[in-house]
Amino acid sequence: MGLEIKLTVNGNTHTAELEPSTALVDFLRDTLGYKGVKLCCNTGECGACTIIMDGKPVNSCVVLGADAAGADLVTVEGIADGDELHPVQQAFIDTGAVQCGYCTPGFIVSLKALLDRTKSPTAEDVEEAISGNICRCTGYTKIFDAVELAAKRMA
Amino acid sequence: MDYFEPKTVDEALSLLDQHGEQAEVIAGGTDVMVDIKYSDEPGCLVNIKRIPDLNAIRESNGGVHIGPLATIHELEESELVRKRLPLLWSAAHQFASLQIRNTATIGGNICRASPSGETLAPLLVLEAEAEVTFSDGARTEPFSAFFKGPGETSLGSKGLLTGINVPYPADGSHAVYLKHAVRGPMDIAMVGVAVMATANADKSALDDVRIGLGAVAPTPVRAPKTEALVSGKALDAALVKEAGASAASESSPITDQRSSGEYRGWIVDALTRRGLEQCWQALTGKEVA
Repeated sequence: MGLEIKLTVNGNTHTAELEPSTALVDFLRDTLGYKGVKLCCNTGECGACTIIMDGKPVNSCVVLGADAAGADLVTVEGIADGDELHPVQQAFIDTGAVQCGYCTPGFIVSLKALLDRTKSPTAEDVEEAISGNICRCTGYTKIFDAVELAAKRMA
Repeated sequence: MDYFEPKTVDEALSLLDQHGEQAEVIAGGTDVMVDIKYSDEPGCLVNIKRIPDLNAIRESNGGVHIGPLATIHELEESELVRKRLPLLWSAAHQFASLQIRNTATIGGNICRASPSGETLAPLLVLEAEAEVTFSDGARTEPFSAFFKGPGETSLGSKGLLTGINVPYPADGSHAVYLKHAVRGPMDIAMVGVAVMATANADKSALDDVRIGLGAVAPTPVRAPKTEALVSGKALDAALVKEAGASAASESSPITDQRSSGEYRGWIVDALTRRGLEQCWQALTGKEVA
C-alpha cells in the first residue's frame, strides 16, 4: 500500500509515494535522492542521518517517513547559500574537522541547528548539541574548533 | 502492513479494538522504528502522532497534566516542569541525545514499560497517575499499578495512555535523579535512582522519603522498606550505609549486556546513599555526619 505525502526539503516541494513502514532516512535517500543524509547505525544512536525537521534536529532513521507529511526539512545539501558554503561547512574545512567524512553531514546539521538557536554557544552547549553524533575517527577536538570558528565568523 | 493515522482518541481505540494484538501504536517512533527494522513488522501500525491536543503540558488540579505526545524536549523546555517538577525535568535532561529528545514522547517512554525508562522511577516517586482510556471508558490509576512487567502495562493491546497527572511535590521538598551509564545521557541507564524527601519543621530529620529504582527489577519500583527505614530520622553515616544496603536488597537486577546483576546491586547501594546525602544537604544545609 503506497502512501502519498507532500513535504518541503531545502525549500523544494516534493510529492511522492512511500511504503508506510519506511524510515525517513530511506525515503530521503532512495526516493528523493538526498544522499547527503547518511545511513549508519539505523537505530538512532550515531547521528549520521541527522536532519532538521520543522526547526529541530532529529535522527531521520527513527522517524517514520509518513510523519514528514507537511513538514519542512533541511538536510546538509540545503544549508549552503549558492556557491558559498555555510559558515559551519567552511569552518570544518579550515580547521581540518573532517577525517573519513562519513559522520560529517550529521555533525554539520547538528551544529547548524545549534547556531540557529544560539549565536555564541558555550562549550557545554556544543557538547549537548553533538552528544548524539558519533565520530568514529574520534576527531572531536577539531570539530569543537570548527564550531568556535564558525560562531566567530557568524557574529 | 496496514497503516492508520487516527485523528481522534475514539478512532484510535476503535482501530485497536478491531486489530487487537496485530496493531502496534506508534508516536515518536524512536523505539518502534527500530522494532520495524530489526524485529517482525507489526500487522498494522496505528500512528497517533496527529491526534490533536495530546501534547499539552499545563497546570491542572494542584499538579501538572502532561499529554502523552509531549516530547522529552518539550518537557525539558517547559518552565512549569522545570520549576515545579525538577525531578522529572532532570530525568528528561539526562534522556538520550537532543535528536532523540526532539522525537521521543513521554507517553512512548511510559508505554514501552522498559524498567530502565528514564522518566519512570521519577513518576513513581512523584506518585503520578496514568489516565488510561479504553473504548468503553477512561480511568486513572497510579503508575505503581500501571506497570506489569517488561513491556507490559495495564493498557494491554486495546488501551491508550491519554494523560499523565503529576501532583506538585510538597513545598520545601528536594529530589534528585541519579543515572549510572557509561556514555552519560546517550546510554540506557544501568541503574537509575530517584530520591525525594522533605525535612521536618526544625530540619533535624527527613520526612516522607521516597525512593524509586529503575533498571533493577522487571518494572520500575519503589523501595518501601528503605523509605520507612529513613523517614522521620536524622541522617548520619551509619543510617546512610544501612539505607544503601537496604535499597540494594529491595532490587532484583538481572545480568545483561550493559551490566551484571551484582554490579547493578552495588550501584543501587551507591546511588541511594548519594541521593539521600544530597537531599539531606539541600534540606538541612548540613553534611551527613
